[in-house]
Amino acid sequence: MRKLLILAILAAFSAVLVVACTGGGTEDNNQQVVVATPTPVPTRAAQVEVAPSLQNTPEGESAAKADSATGDGDDGVPEGGIFTRNWSDPPTLDPHLVTDTTSAGIVVEIFSGLVSLNEDLEIVPELAESWSISGGGTVYEFKLRPDLKFSNGEPLAAEDFKWSIERAAHPDTESPVADIYLGDIVGVNEIIEGRGDVVSADGITVVDDRTIRIEIDAPKAYFLAKLTYPTAYVLDRSNVEAGGESWTDNAAGTGPFFLEEYKIGQRMVLARNDNYWGRAAYLDNVVLNLAGGVSMAMYENDEIDITGVGLADLTRVQDPTEELNKDLVRVPPHFSISYVGFNVSEPPFDDPKFRQALNYAVDKELIASQVYSDLVMPAYGILPPGFPGFSDEVEGIRYDPEKAKQLLAESKYADPETRPRITVTIPGTGGSAPLDVQVISTMWEDVLGVEIDVQQVEWATYLQDLNRSRLQAWGGIGWEADYPDPQDFIDILFYSESSGNHGHYSNAEVDKRVEEARTEQDIIRRVQLYNEAEEIILHDAAWLPLWFDMEGLALIKPWVKNYTFTPIIVPRLKNVYIQK
Amino acid sequence: MLTYSLRRLLWTPVLLLIISFFVFLLGTYGPGDPVEVRLGHNYTPERAERLRDRLGLNDPFFVQYGRFVGRAARGNLGESLTFQNRDVITLIAPKLLTSAQLNIAGSIIAICFGVPLGFYAARRQGTWIDPTLVFCTLIIFALPVFFTGPFAILIFAVNLDWVPVSGWGGLFDYRVVLPALTTGLPGIAIFVRLMRASTLDVLGQEYIQTARSKGLSAGVVNYRHVARNALLPIVTILGFTIAGLFGGSLITELMFGIPGIGRLALESVFSRDYPVIMALTLLGATALVVANLIIDIVYTVIDPRIRLQ
Repeated sequence: MRKLLILAILAAFSAVLVVACTGGGTEDNNQQVVVATPTPVPTRAAQVEVAPSLQNTPEGESAAKADSATGDGDDGVPEGGIFTRNWSDPPTLDPHLVTDTTSAGIVVEIFSGLVSLNEDLEIVPELAESWSISGGGTVYEFKLRPDLKFSNGEPLAAEDFKWSIERAAHPDTESPVADIYLGDIVGVNEIIEGRGDVVSADGITVVDDRTIRIEIDAPKAYFLAKLTYPTAYVLDRSNVEAGGESWTDNAAGTGPFFLEEYKIGQRMVLARNDNYWGRAAYLDNVVLNLAGGVSMAMYENDEIDITGVGLADLTRVQDPTEELNKDLVRVPPHFSISYVGFNVSEPPFDDPKFRQALNYAVDKELIASQVYSDLVMPAYGILPPGFPGFSDEVEGIRYDPEKAKQLLAESKYADPETRPRITVTIPGTGGSAPLDVQVISTMWEDVLGVEIDVQQVEWATYLQDLNRSRLQAWGGIGWEADYPDPQDFIDILFYSESSGNHGHYSNAEVDKRVEEARTEQDIIRRVQLYNEAEEIILHDAAWLPLWFDMEGLALIKPWVKNYTFTPIIVPRLKNVYIQK
Repeated sequence: MLTYSLRRLLWTPVLLLIISFFVFLLGTYGPGDPVEVRLGHNYTPERAERLRDRLGLNDPFFVQYGRFVGRAARGNLGESLTFQNRDVITLIAPKLLTSAQLNIAGSIIAICFGVPLGFYAARRQGTWIDPTLVFCTLIIFALPVFFTGPFAILIFAVNLDWVPVSGWGGLFDYRVVLPALTTGLPGIAIFVRLMRASTLDVLGQEYIQTARSKGLSAGVVNYRHVARNALLPIVTILGFTIAGLFGGSLITELMFGIPGIGRLALESVFSRDYPVIMALTLLGATALVVANLIIDIVYTVIDPRIRLQ
């Protein structure tokens, strides 16, 4: 126990250092500290997507209003005002290039597409007012809203969508993710793989000014969900072509805001787009401070309207006598899981019994309560709670030291003399392994007598080794959903041919179910297939699943109304208003 | 002196060529790949290959290096790999200027406090004042920025509410005070120690005794003879301060929300943003060359015995 305590103290100290080094630029810096294994920088440097207020927490909702007390509808809401927060420089503002949440959080407010996710993560009409699906689930026909305009006043028609999708796929655009989000559309992969000579996709037909037909290669239930991602957003052709490489500095979009000012590293100002198709945003401006600063202190000084809460301030903000306590809101968890991965093509991880033994030997409840003060939730499955397809009935491996010893004895690697040495690689700089990895290695040694080496390598090198399957076992990372569909976890991470399957896990039973689920039209059956696959994966102990994200805490000024926290990025600022 | 300066400056491009070659070599053959960092969890070998192809990263080393040198000679340092479609120069120039202003403010504080205090300590050698001052400066020097920064924020911004916690308005904005103080404090210690040592050195010189025995007033001796000669070594340090002007102070910048170069520099290394790394390396090298030249020239002005050949 003393060891755990010391580890906890070390963690608290290093957390302070991390905050100092990242500057608390966004709420997520704090979040990353709280969560054991921050999904490292650029890929998933997520801005925090967060939660309902303490005062009125509607239970069981994945998203809730930060303040629903003043919900007297769209009318009578005070217009105007400025909402200020910390953010980081987005790697890009070109929707078609977006792969990260820092960029996406801004892009979804400036641009939009045919469909969108609402704050309850349901797919809702955006620029399309309706659509029909025919051809056995392969033909989507979208009817656009009348009189659509870009923020610069230019009219928008079906042709713009065709051009935009083809532009996203064109090699010159250099979109890293066009094939993920648009590759299902007939003809798009030909553009992506062409050398710039193919520019048009057969699967996209402009029927008339307000109708566009999109044909996909097979009936895929998750296709509409993919269209909510920025890669499928519509751009103004003349705006893009006139602006050259820096066109986003004067971008014309269809979102509720437009980019009014951007000074790299200093600040970004969004302003209300009066040409937005729906009710215009209430706020005059959204000001994003990009220069960093001590988020908590800035909040207390009224320099920003919202901040995350780091470990250092946790006790203080939870004290009911503190002034700040009134501003406290809960942030719903991200849809993410952290884990220790095993390369199952390499000994000793090629023996399922050995992997199971490692799983049974770890007491996640103890780590969660003693090391992480219950700020993480032990994961016994793959899909996070609340995520589409999540089922309580999927049951993974729980702590059982006796069973662990028995399995180890039955495995090929029972003899410590001949057992290959195990190295768990973690990303980062600074030399100390994440706490959970440290404790787990102690548990493996105590329960099984299995010793491991923990090796830390810097992020870019780590990624390269991971992508080339050079790591025997790895920790310190997680996976987070891009779109709300179980395919985003089960298929991408465990299908034997998937490049996201870094551990070369392969099970024909899993592959069969995953393949079938891709085109299964019956939702119940589809979820069942994923749950069965998940069960097999857990039983095979392909990973050691560690933690699901837990609720975090944030502070939001009492005059900011209707700010919604969601587990994944959705457009949300048009509903926010200021009432002082 | 003019030919000397010209000759020195003419060497600079050769130096930069050598440095850029090695940075390029490390970038190409070192571990880590900017394309994989950009793709992150979306990595597939095909996607990475396509992107590398588009970015010209698949070309042979000398083709890539040649292309870089050719472009750099025309003043184009390429585009950032992380901040897509952003020209490196437009990306780093405003950040460099900001860091330079912060460093100037910090240096002013360091010099304005450090030099007089060092001079004073030397003049009071043998009394309790000298060791006390030296001891205090040692403590100041030992205080890390991530202690003094939050401490200053807590007192002046949160408790006294004199200045905002963060923000930046340039060298002539009052918000510069706290960050400048934070970066300047260790400098005070350096200048105190340096000035004290060189003053003591001068005080022991015979010409000071001569001046005193001539019957010159204490003020004239102190300021015309002692202080002026003691300042010479300070010039050297000042020169290197100039060279360091464009270096970011990562922690201070992050703490006070200053849009300087520190964070970008660090992140460019972690994400293997080679064009940015290259630009910063070359700039640092140029600054050092120029600073050395300036120091040499200033020496000849202050001390006519020194000749440049």
